[in-house]
This record gives sequence, structure tokens and C-alpha cells, in this order.
Amino acid sequence: MLCQNCGKYEATTHIKQIINGDMAETHLCPDCANHLGYGDMFSGFDFSLSGLLSGFLGDMLPPVSLGPVTRCEKCGCSFDDIARAGKVGCPECYRTFYDRLLPSIQRIHGKISHAGKTGQSAGNREKIETSGEKIAKLRVQMDEAVRVQNFERAAEIRDEIKKLEGENINE
Amino acid sequence: MSKWYAEKGSQSETVISTRIRLARNIDDFVFPCRLDKEGKAKVNELVKKAVFECCGDKYSYISMKDLSHLQAVSLAERHVISPEFTSCEEGTGLIISDDESVSIMICEEDHIRLQVMKSGLALDEAYKIADETDSALDEKLSYAFDERIGYMTSDPTNLGTAMRASVFLHLPALTACGQINAIANTVSKLGLSIGGAYGSRKKPAGDIYQISNRITLGITEETAVANLKSIVMQLINQERSAAEREIKNPALEDKIYRSLGVLENARMLNADEFMELISYVRFGASAGLLDIPVERINALITDMQPATVAVSNEDADTVAKRDARRAELVRQALAG
Repeated sequence: MLCQNCGKYEATTHIKQIINGDMAETHLCPDCANHLGYGDMFSGFDFSLSGLLSGFLGDMLPPVSLGPVTRCEKCGCSFDDIARAGKVGCPECYRTFYDRLLPSIQRIHGKISHAGKTGQSAGNREKIETSGEKIAKLRVQMDEAVRVQNFERAAEIRDEIKKLEGENINE
Repeated sequence: MSKWYAEKGSQSETVISTRIRLARNIDDFVFPCRLDKEGKAKVNELVKKAVFECCGDKYSYISMKDLSHLQAVSLAERHVISPEFTSCEEGTGLIISDDESVSIMICEEDHIRLQVMKSGLALDEAYKIADETDSALDEKLSYAFDERIGYMTSDPTNLGTAMRASVFLHLPALTACGQINAIANTVSKLGLSIGGAYGSRKKPAGDIYQISNRITLGITEETAVANLKSIVMQLINQERSAAEREIKNPALEDKIYRSLGVLENARMLNADEFMELISYVRFGASAGLLDIPVERINALITDMQPATVAVSNEDADTVAKRDARRAELVRQALAG
């Protein structure tokens, strides 16, 4: 269903109002809903932190999705699913969607680095990284591969970098 | 065995209890919201095995679906489980210590919600127990943890320490002089939140509030606990000076004695009326006007909640019978 206000984008906000006993239904796209004052996730609801989060994440949903949707390999969650529920599906989701979760995490906590107790499983895996950080690391590895004239390995790394950059552009 | 809330705690005139809650997830499993029945059963088994191996026999396991709705609500009234957990979905379980001071919700929002309750203000003691239990479990279970974002939780608002520290406060004087909203605004700027512990969010019952830390990432457990403690100490002092002012008001003194009179003599008491009156009596007791130990009042507040009365008095099967039973129990408790 298209937005009843602009007629351009898919309607994602559905409002039912009862006025003088008659039910009126309105369907709006995120932009128009925001514009018309229906974007405030808190109005009419009890304040809750998960509401807060889906409010934050919801801001970042594109009006129409471009290209194939990235899904978490472990639980099958898309970023859309996470934003709507305000809940993350599994630990792997944090690795898959770290770039896009990071701004919300920062807005909620003000900080982005853990300072408390360290679990025993720390150090078992590589730290979570943004794709920018991953790319920077790979570039260093690629330069090193070129330096030792391992061009096969350098080409592999180049492809990996391209893939990461491509994901960024798609989303 | 007597329950933790019947004990006398520090700062007990104002502070009813302290709770530390840690959220943990097991690395190999998706979070409960996306976990199927078999997965939840496996998580239950893993956690159960880990707890019984490391913490001995003072715990028992309950499969939540074996509980009646009333039994579950009664656990929530005693703050042993969260209100959300009372839906008793299949695959949810509870591990609880004999005195109910330590409990573990399995497959609530996260695989593990470990909580420790203590009477009075006891943040450091409660955290110590939670921390030790958590470390013991960490040896048996592989937690989802990342050095950058800390303990991975289903809700990103819990990332980092995944610790929620709460203190339950009785603030009748500050409520009477209309200070609670101003306090709520101030504490929210300090990364804390405050709300009613009983009743609805808009109209807290019995002037009892829960204050907790909100920020969990980028802060150590010790700092979060110390921050909360310092704010709670300020609230205790504010409540005390407000109480000293308020108690001089003859109308309030009258209200306290009248409330005691009703509670000592009523033959029918519903939960709302009880909460309103017991708050005045507790106010009188903590201000030194009435000679009733506050821990007895605390235990009474917990025991007189609707589902708890219903569960522990099965013969009282109608509302009227329960109200009569509540009145009887209150009379007995106040008579000592």
C-alpha cells in the first residue's frame, strides 16, 4: 500500500482513529508520518527502553529498501527486524550489523567501549569492528602481501575489501 | 526457611531492599526471542547443570509452565521474577535459592537473568554475591562477550556490564510534598531512572519507588553501583529532612494513628487500601512515632500483595474471603 499523503512510498505507519464514533484509517510512509507528527514513538505509550531503541533505530530505516537485504547468518534477522522489535536476534547480529547499530548504541549509552567486567570468553574471537576498521586492517595486510610479492593473496584481500565496500554502498 | 525480606537491613527506615540483576547469554545460541522450543530446552538444561554443579544444593529448579498464573504473579510481586516472565511460556525456567535471595530466570529476554536481592541498602554485598555466582557460571558456560561491547544482550540498552542495580525506597514525605517529579527529572540527567515499584506507573502504590542505573556501556560495575549509592544516600537525607518537617503537622500525625487504627481493627482490607494505610504506618514507624519494626512492615507489604495472599491462602477463593484473610493477617502481624 502506498502512502496516502505523498503517494510515492510504501506506507509503514497505520493509524486508526475514532472520531465521533466513526473509525478513520490513515496509512503513511515514514517521512510523511514524521512530518504529520505521528513519528513520535512515545506518544500514547508508556516510556520503555526498548521503545526508545526502536525509536532510535526506526529513524535510520530507509523509506524503500535498495538491493538485497543483508541477513544475519546465524539467526536470519535483517536490520529491519531488529529495528522494529528493538531487540537483537543473536550475538552474531552485533557483528553483522555493528556499523548500523553503533550510532544508536552511542546515543543510548553516550559511550561505545565496554569498561566493566571481562568474561572468560574474551579474546576467543576477534573484537567487533566497523567495516571501516576491517577495511583499514585488510589494506595493511594487502600492502604486506604485495611487499612480499604474494600477489595471489593480495588479490584475495582486494576482493574482500571490494565486497565490504560494496555492502556499505548497498546499504 | 525465612525469606531474605524478613531481615533487617542497613538504612532500613527508608530503604526497603536492594537488587542486582545481570543479563548473560550463551554464545552458541540465538537469543530467546528467536530461539525454538528445543533450543530453549537445551539452554534450560545447560544453565541448570552449571548452577547445580557450581553452587551446590541450596537451589531448586522450576519449569515456569508448571506454575499457575497466580503462583507466577506472586513471584513477580516478591520481585523474584519480572512481570514479563509471568506469562510462563514453554521453555522458560527459574532457579531459586532457598531464601529466595538469589534467582535465575532462564530464557526471559536473555538466556540468563541472574538476580540477587538483599534487605535494606546493600549494593556492594549484593553485587559481590552476583559477581561470584556469575564468575562461577562463566567457567561452565561460554558467555557471549565482546571486548568492545561487553556482554551481548538481546536489548542493546543493556550492552556493556549488562547490570541493572536497583534500590527500593519508601519516600512518603517526599511524595507528600510533591517532590517526586523533580527528583525523577534530576536522576534521569545522572543516568538513573526512578519509578513506582508497586501499582501503575502513573500512580505508584504505597509511596514505594525503584531507582536504577540506566547506562551500562563504558562504565564499570563498581562505578555504576557507587553512583547509585551516592544518589540513594542523598535521597535518604532529603526524605529524612522532609519527614522531620512533615511529622510536625498534626494532620499527618492524626492520619498515621488513624491508619494504624484501621489496620488493627479492620475485618476486610483490599490491597489498595492496605497499601495506602501501611505507607502511613511505615512512615510513623520510621519516624519513631510508632514502635513497630520496619522489617515486619516490609515483610507484610510483600506478603499482602493480591496474588501472594491468594496463593498462600488457598481456602480464600473469593475476593471477599481474601480481603477478610488479609485483614486477619495484618491484625496478627501488627499485634506482634
